[in-house]
Amino acid sequence: MEIHVERHTTVTVVRIAGSVDGLTADTLLAALQAEVDGGHVRLVGDLSAVDYTSSAGLRALLATVKQARQKGGDFRLAGAVPQVSRVLEMSGFTSILKMYEEVEVALASFGS
Amino acid sequence: MSAADGGAPRVALVIGAGSVKCAAALGLWRVLKREGIDIDLVVGCSGGSIYAGVMALGLGVEECEEMTHGLWRREITERADWRSMLGALFPKLFGFNGRLGMVHDAPLLKALSTPFGGRDFAETKIPLHVVATDLANGEQVTLSEGSILNAIRASVAIPYVWQPWKVGERWLLDGCLSAPLPVDVAMREGADLILAMGFESPYPRRIRSGTRYAFQINSIYTNNLLRANYAFHNLAHHAEIIPVLPEFGENIGLFDTHKFPYVIEQGERAMEAQLPYLKQLLATA
Amino acid sequence: MSEASSSEAPCARPRVGVVIGSGGLKCAASIGLWRVLRRENIDVDLFVGCSGGSIYAARMALGFEPDEIERDAGELWDAGLPKRFHYPTLIRTLLPWFFRRRRRMGLLNDSPFLDAVGRAVRHSTFEQLKTPLFIMATDLETGERVPISEGSITEAVRASSAIPIWFRPWVIGGRLLVDGGVADPMPVSVAIREGCDIIIAMGFEQPRYDQLGTLLGAAGQVTSISMNNLLRATFAFYNVAHHAEIIPIIPEFDRRIGLGDTHLIHYIVERGERAAEAEVPYLRRLLAARTAAVPAAGETR
Repeated sequence: MEIHVERHTTVTVVRIAGSVDGLTADTLLAALQAEVDGGHVRLVGDLSAVDYTSSAGLRALLATVKQARQKGGDFRLAGAVPQVSRVLEMSGFTSILKMYEEVEVALASFGS
Repeated sequence: MSAADGGAPRVALVIGAGSVKCAAALGLWRVLKREGIDIDLVVGCSGGSIYAGVMALGLGVEECEEMTHGLWRREITERADWRSMLGALFPKLFGFNGRLGMVHDAPLLKALSTPFGGRDFAETKIPLHVVATDLANGEQVTLSEGSILNAIRASVAIPYVWQPWKVGERWLLDGCLSAPLPVDVAMREGADLILAMGFESPYPRRIRSGTRYAFQINSIYTNNLLRANYAFHNLAHHAEIIPVLPEFGENIGLFDTHKFPYVIEQGERAMEAQLPYLKQLLATA
Repeated sequence: MSEASSSEAPCARPRVGVVIGSGGLKCAASIGLWRVLRRENIDVDLFVGCSGGSIYAARMALGFEPDEIERDAGELWDAGLPKRFHYPTLIRTLLPWFFRRRRRMGLLNDSPFLDAVGRAVRHSTFEQLKTPLFIMATDLETGERVPISEGSITEAVRASSAIPIWFRPWVIGGRLLVDGGVADPMPVSVAIREGCDIIIAMGFEQPRYDQLGTLLGAAGQVTSISMNNLLRATFAFYNVAHHAEIIPIIPEFDRRIGLGDTHLIHYIVERGERAAEAEVPYLRRLLAARTAAVPAAGETR
């Protein structure tokens, strides 16, 4: 799994590639936590290159959502492929966080 | 990822409600057997309990297929339960005990007795748990001992179709009303790795009658409950849940036994998709 | 949601959301909650309503005072449950084999209800509101949740109140909508997604049918089981998924409340007020603590 961070004016895009699962969750969480701790609390997770996600992986994503929100920001997701979308839906994520098809739309959702 | 005793992770299989689609669990099982991966614990709800039961009893995959084939025949729902229906419509005249079932359960019981007649939970090769719902208070009831036939008959008691079934002191209904995909049972029993095979109720394409409408509403409740439960347990525990969700490109009706090979194949496919990650997890344990 | 970037002043006050779940006539208890919030001067940033709760969430968002809402509550309910059945639909529903190609079935005639709702919300649209409002409905054909936050508030309330079998489904934007409670009876989900920190959620369990001696009783029991389990499961999930605090307000009733018991409204409101009052001390502490503790975006600890 690879993580690539991209700074925009007031929002940070975190591009994740590979599998978000029990074996990679700790790495992902550490990277995302570093962003939040660094004051970058308006985050978009680009999931278009994520091919797999499991329970433990979802917990890492949600932990970041919570941390960002606690600091007045948010973590929004974009570009999930169908099989990942399906798991996100079944796990209730689509009801409690904002998900978009395109990263651009997710970025715009934070307002100016 | 390791079990409390430091050994290999306890792998559990949970087969959720889904009537005939639950046969996909046989496809899952075929793949695991081929890979030499053992299941340590099995949990079933509603239709899923039938497959959980035959697997726990140690029957081979082919035997299971044969045994369970016989269950999905029109005969099991053809005999109406007039007594029950009349009682419900005219309670003062016929007396109504609050337990409605439109279909007589004698054919169902006969079909279930072939694989499960006289078999007890204590006989299973691996622990088996069957989930039903308490009619009086709606709570989830996990059955882990006594007669397997009784437990499964209770778990498949679809509301309005078959009458509720008494186990011990309680009247029980279809497990899907409280836990359509009972991963919590697997967690409570100490599983570290849970293969969760769930099926969403199909939505009828056109709602043309009152009864279709009622079933639609029921389906919506069940699907949403399945997701809500799954979502909660997903977050609340440390166990790794691997969802195995077969996709069916077409509608699988209750008696479409000719579609069995397709259903089983979709189960295989769904398990194959999760296999790489599963093997990784087992290897790093 | 804080829009502050590191160069702007921090928006420190926590966002408060109020969610009123489904519960038939018991939802009038939310008027008691509203009374308490107004009295304590607690500002609300977001309202979410579902099913029976949707009309109250709407009126709160519109800025009506608690006394006004209580005064009209009885009238609205009586309009919603007319004495007359919609006989053509009733017959069609009960005789499915005569039934052809109709998607919208309901036993009750809903036009008095629709009129009453329209008057109650002054025919307003979501866009006219100062405080955001979301009303939860369910797509009958896909089972999906449909949170409505645009267009006519009357239509949204009508869709959300479309209790299956009793009321016909309602069409909005080409989708056939029914009671939001079938998918999400107490939609805390929306409040979480919209970034609320403190969520005050009022919900109700369906009554248990001890008298199972009739068909309606037996059918009611199955529905109650489904709805209650869904309510509990979704709430459990929201609890673990939310980053801050959800305060559930569950009024206690010492008598059975049927859909037609509009004479009990004052009692119901009072129960709601009592339940809400009990949470005020904790709510105050939460608001005070978070106001102090929430750092601005861009600041580090």
